[in-house]
Amino acid sequence: MSSSMQATTPTKIKKIGPSELQILWADGHETRHFAQILRGLCPCASCRDEMTGVRVILPIHIPDTLEFRKIGLVGQYAVHFDFSDNHGTGIYSFEYLRELCRCDICTARDAEKK
Amino acid sequence: MFNKGKNGSVTEGQVLDVLKRVQDPDLHKDIVSLGFIRNIKIENGNVAFDLNLTTPACPVKDQMRDEAVALVKGLAGVSDVAINMTAEVRQAPQMDKTALKGVKNIVAVGSGKGGVGKSTIAVNIAASLAAQGAAVGLLDGDIYGPTMPIMLGVEHPPKSVGPRMIPIEASGLRFMSMGLLVKSDQPLIWRGPMAHRALQQCLFDVDWGELDYLIVDLPPGTGDVHLTLAQQVPLTGAVIVSTPQDVGLRISLKTLRMFQQTRVPILGIVENMSYYICPHCDSRDYIFGEGGGKRAAAELGIPFFGEVPLDVAIRKQSDLGSPIVVAMPDAPSSKVLREIAQKVAQQVSIRSFEAPVLEVE
Repeated sequence: MSSSMQATTPTKIKKIGPSELQILWADGHETRHFAQILRGLCPCASCRDEMTGVRVILPIHIPDTLEFRKIGLVGQYAVHFDFSDNHGTGIYSFEYLRELCRCDICTARDAEKK
Repeated sequence: MFNKGKNGSVTEGQVLDVLKRVQDPDLHKDIVSLGFIRNIKIENGNVAFDLNLTTPACPVKDQMRDEAVALVKGLAGVSDVAINMTAEVRQAPQMDKTALKGVKNIVAVGSGKGGVGKSTIAVNIAASLAAQGAAVGLLDGDIYGPTMPIMLGVEHPPKSVGPRMIPIEASGLRFMSMGLLVKSDQPLIWRGPMAHRALQQCLFDVDWGELDYLIVDLPPGTGDVHLTLAQQVPLTGAVIVSTPQDVGLRISLKTLRMFQQTRVPILGIVENMSYYICPHCDSRDYIFGEGGGKRAAAELGIPFFGEVPLDVAIRKQSDLGSPIVVAMPDAPSSKVLREIAQKVAQQVSIRSFEAPVLEVE
């Protein structure tokens, strides 16, 4: 497996709290995601304009009390979440979930890029 | 390390030790470490054991058996060796545990454009695997133009037990098609959500039972059915069927990219209608150009499964409702198709060993 493939291949996806998710990646990296952030960055067509790509919903619109209800795989390329606000149409590709990693290492690297 | 048995006879340890020299050429490990050797029995210098492979359609089955026989026979105190060849297809790691729990691997057969003989290839791959001892299901996912009922000579709708449909047995396969649920001359004029629902029903509302392989024949192109399949089930992989023509190949690439985007492993490319054998002089005519599929496979770094000729016998058998590999197993085209099926099974075995396991809690 190539290193870019390893970086976007999860080996474990675990709900470690009502609002917190842990993802372990094949390259050894660990990501923590929160329901509020993922819901606010939902990639579905009603949360992000299909034509322009402009976001309709952002994390600031979502209460931090939002929880994950259900987590499931979509084929073998993405994850699907049912959130406690009854929204569940987003398909989060593995690439997207890795891109959204906000750990110290990823945040520093993204800042450098900018 | 291993003590000699009583009266200088060979021991189980010695047999296993020498069998470690036999490598599975696909999995790159020896057959002892892979756990393929079972039920060793030694009696008066006669050694017997099971060699349990990952598919009954293993193309290197005979090679591994011959190698094992020769090595064990070479041991002092061995007079005869009997190997019982068995097979157990492994379950793909990510297979859904609830809806299709008896199905070990799902393989999609796709093409870029229509008319490349995708359904013919799919039905013959499925029938070949079944003829070699695997439990095989075939789902005709071409909901807009289902041709499988004709190719398998099945017309009656499937029976139902409660809410679940029972697949129809034909040519050694368990078979299901949307074509069985509507009148044959009735077109299906469906929007996306209907197509999605229909495929879901054919997958999840059918009592497939225990299957080593479920082969899904896709409609041409990259549409609703493809997306539904890639999202609803963890496919072990996809086989791409193409004609040698550049145009055909280029469009096939789109289907290939779609599978890559949804992380469905591409098992390999089958080239259909590769050449025509003149019935009068037996010369080969490469009507659509030569070697297109092979070149594309090499460029993309994916396995090339083989060239299927334009053969009247293949077409006739499909129209008669009995695939050529079943009706005429000794025909040259049947041999080509059987080898392709073996290569598909081989790639499925490799994938199920290599695929990373993903836990979701």
